Amino acid sequence: MQINFTLNNTPIVIDAPPDISLLTLLREHLGVTGVKDGCDVGECGACSILLDGMLVNSCQLLAPQADGRNILTIEGVHDESGGPTDLQRHFIEQGAVQCGFCIPGMILAGEALLAENPNPDREAIAEALAGNLCRCTGYIQIVDAIEATARERQARSGQGGRS
Amino acid sequence: MIPPRHDTRYVGKPAARVDALEKVLGEARFLADINLPDMLYARALRSHLPHARIKRLDVSPALEVPGVKAVITSDDFVDHGNYGFPVKDNYMLAYQKVRYVGDAIAAVAAETPEAALAGVRAIICELEPLPLVTDVERALDKDAPQVGPDRDDGQSPNFLDRSIVQAGDIEKGMADADIIVEGVFSTPHQEHAYLETEGALAIPTPEGGVMLYCSNQSPFINRDNVAMVLGLAPELVRSIQPPVGGSFGGKDDLNYESSAQCAALALKTGRPVRMTFSREESMVASYKRNAMKMWVQVGVRADGVLQACRFRGLLDSGAYASESSFTGWRASIHAMGAYRYDAVDVEVTSVYTNNAFSGAFRGFGNPEVNFAIEQVIDELAEKLDMDPMDLRLQNALRLGDALPHGQKLEESVSLTACLEEARNQSDWDRKRREFPQRNAGSELKKGIGVAALFHGLSLGAEGADYAGATIRIDDDNGVTLTSGFTDYGQGSRTVFTLIAAEVLGVRPDRIDMLRPDTDTAIESGPTVASRATVLGGNATRIAAANLKRILDLAAADLLGCRVGQLIREGESYIGPDETPVSWDDVVAHARKLGFQLSAQGRWQAPTIHWDHHAGRGEPYFAYHFAAQVAEVTVDMGTGQTRVDDIWAVHDLGRVIFPQGAYGQVYGGIAQGLGYALTERVDFVDGYIQQTNFERYLIPNAADMPRIHITLLEDPLSVGPFGAKNVAEPAMVPTAAAIANAVAHATGRRIRRLPISLEQVLLGYDLTPPGTPKRAQQGLWL
Repeated sequence: MQINFTLNNTPIVIDAPPDISLLTLLREHLGVTGVKDGCDVGECGACSILLDGMLVNSCQLLAPQADGRNILTIEGVHDESGGPTDLQRHFIEQGAVQCGFCIPGMILAGEALLAENPNPDREAIAEALAGNLCRCTGYIQIVDAIEATARERQARSGQGGRS
Repeated sequence: MIPPRHDTRYVGKPAARVDALEKVLGEARFLADINLPDMLYARALRSHLPHARIKRLDVSPALEVPGVKAVITSDDFVDHGNYGFPVKDNYMLAYQKVRYVGDAIAAVAAETPEAALAGVRAIICELEPLPLVTDVERALDKDAPQVGPDRDDGQSPNFLDRSIVQAGDIEKGMADADIIVEGVFSTPHQEHAYLETEGALAIPTPEGGVMLYCSNQSPFINRDNVAMVLGLAPELVRSIQPPVGGSFGGKDDLNYESSAQCAALALKTGRPVRMTFSREESMVASYKRNAMKMWVQVGVRADGVLQACRFRGLLDSGAYASESSFTGWRASIHAMGAYRYDAVDVEVTSVYTNNAFSGAFRGFGNPEVNFAIEQVIDELAEKLDMDPMDLRLQNALRLGDALPHGQKLEESVSLTACLEEARNQSDWDRKRREFPQRNAGSELKKGIGVAALFHGLSLGAEGADYAGATIRIDDDNGVTLTSGFTDYGQGSRTVFTLIAAEVLGVRPDRIDMLRPDTDTAIESGPTVASRATVLGGNATRIAAANLKRILDLAAADLLGCRVGQLIREGESYIGPDETPVSWDDVVAHARKLGFQLSAQGRWQAPTIHWDHHAGRGEPYFAYHFAAQVAEVTVDMGTGQTRVDDIWAVHDLGRVIFPQGAYGQVYGGIAQGLGYALTERVDFVDGYIQQTNFERYLIPNAADMPRIHITLLEDPLSVGPFGAKNVAEPAMVPTAAAIANAVAHATGRRIRRLPISLEQVLLGYDLTPPGTPKRAQQGLWL
């Protein structure tokens, strides 16, 4: 069947079987490999995407459910020149990355949280990450990175006279 | 915290991982992300029975399935694909018998993953069930079914290995004790649960060989195994490591099998072949941390001086030997804990069963024995009416002491400093005193507990301990570095980059640390046993120093001075006339002088010796020391244990890459936390019950305690810049510290991991009823 959606600000029209997961559509049909397959049962969050701004496990959606929606994957997260965003920069600076397999999902989970709650405390950050498993880092430096980004964004918006 | 240092520019200073940028941008190509033109998809047929004879195996129907291009069995390998070290008891595909649920029998390559699965299901495979043994305590019975290979020394075929440590007169030691505590402890299988599952990709090469991409730990061993079973010269097999999504010891044996299967299929079809595992396939087929049963007896004098330790351990190796005999050896060495004794008598035995096989996992026997011995030390303190911290400090190994094994500790022994620091930082004395009063009458009970450890660095007497590195200056004056060690997330590429930058006096971003590749790097043994920093770091240091020697000569020639008169400012060289010349100018001058701008470094660990028969000697050339304190809140209404805080004090000798060192400790504690509280692998008649993350519970971000890390730096003279090891030790004491805290909170001593709600609440474990179905469904068996 034909599925129309927006992927990282680019309109997509694709013919795909109706019974595959959105994860399979992205990875195998569109070559969007930043979306990872870690468990295929919605437990690990490695396949996280933002669907109309909402954090979801793409392995738990059917491909046709993307129709008419706006999808952001890690491939769409970068600054104007293709370099790291502030959140990605803080992931690097805080040592939040080890093997890196969970990191695309973690970055998207962080962005989803900061969009909803620009000033989260560490507990709120940890709660927001609870659906994204990491086996390497113990999460502490990931929480550090999101916390540092929130502080920096708060300070910047404060300087700009906006709250 | 680590104290600021002024003697280095890059070592120990803030730095980012060399591969962090590609990973945060989602650009790192893991194995499953590599799609090649003409690539085929491979899938293995795996056993649905824990023990069976292969009565009939007919793969021809699979070849009739549309899209299927090739099918292989053990007949497609030299000597049926027999491999394994130190015991050659495993097969790249099962030969005649299967020994666990998930054992691979045949492999199919097809145009699509769906066709590969259809091919697997079309294979005619008749299995004749054999009696099984899944209980380690039954495995050595005379009438137990045979799992292990035949042996001619009169031992049971299910006997794998026994390691002993013996010192002093154990009978006298126990007789001299005023108090003796003994207990039986058990630790479960643990799943590595790397977020990226196993897999391999094989590409046929024009000269009849194969190029492998495999997410494994030890590409050189992979190369040698694949060459052996395919009858190829090793130089016809090239093994390259893509970014690896975690390993923790877990991506060797099974990935050797995947590599050999893909390689055979690639040679048969002339096309690239990739195999990637589903989570279910990974959890059913992959090897685990050995489950272990332990009996410990320790005697102490009334004045608190430890006298003697008796230890008996039984390790479940499962269907194959893998690394279990080495794990058992490391367990035996560390079984008595980091203390002085007059006498020890340790025996650790590993046996075959029809459970999934076990192998290397971070800590390699030490988290298991630490869980036992560190609780016994607490029980002794209780009987002596002593603070457990004081009892540890009184008996802790100190500089100049001899290990019970007979080895004198000559340097970098910081256990008492670790314990003191953990005591101060955690406000131990107050909490130890006040919590019991606070807990009275409350359903929420707080407790605080400690565990200490020592952990031998690198392979020790397990094997030859050497490493190599190469370094060269390219045409663009960039520096290219290689190492025989691999980086599966732990950060060794960054460690080596910083060491080379420091020695050479160039910015780290000038250095390109290549990914491991058997064609470009020097064979350095396996990347295991927390040995990369010391072994690979030394090889890198030497390689960089050899290259620097050339550049120093060129700089002196260019500046018209002696080498001894050179000073460095940034990358530039300055001579007596104080005019700096750039590094680029020095490199250009070195070229003009005709120098070869490359070098290599090789390093061999100090010689040690272990006498397996006497159970004495020098097991390792150096040791990591550490202490962790855990503070918990136990809900006596539900039995739930919440770990609130962990104070971790580890001596790293010297920190090379701070961010990475902290990351190792945080991550190790997280794995120790899961091991302590939630992670369990249950085998029911050989069938694993946890096949995905909905039942195998690893900690998530909200489960994490606050973690307070202190890194001490008591240098090791033979370590690069004084550095020692950290990756494994970080998880060793966590479970024991938590168990001791739970005992402090509740008065309940939990001797079996994980510390489940039922154990806390009822005092015993409610093992969930199991069924073979779950494991079978996971594999479409």
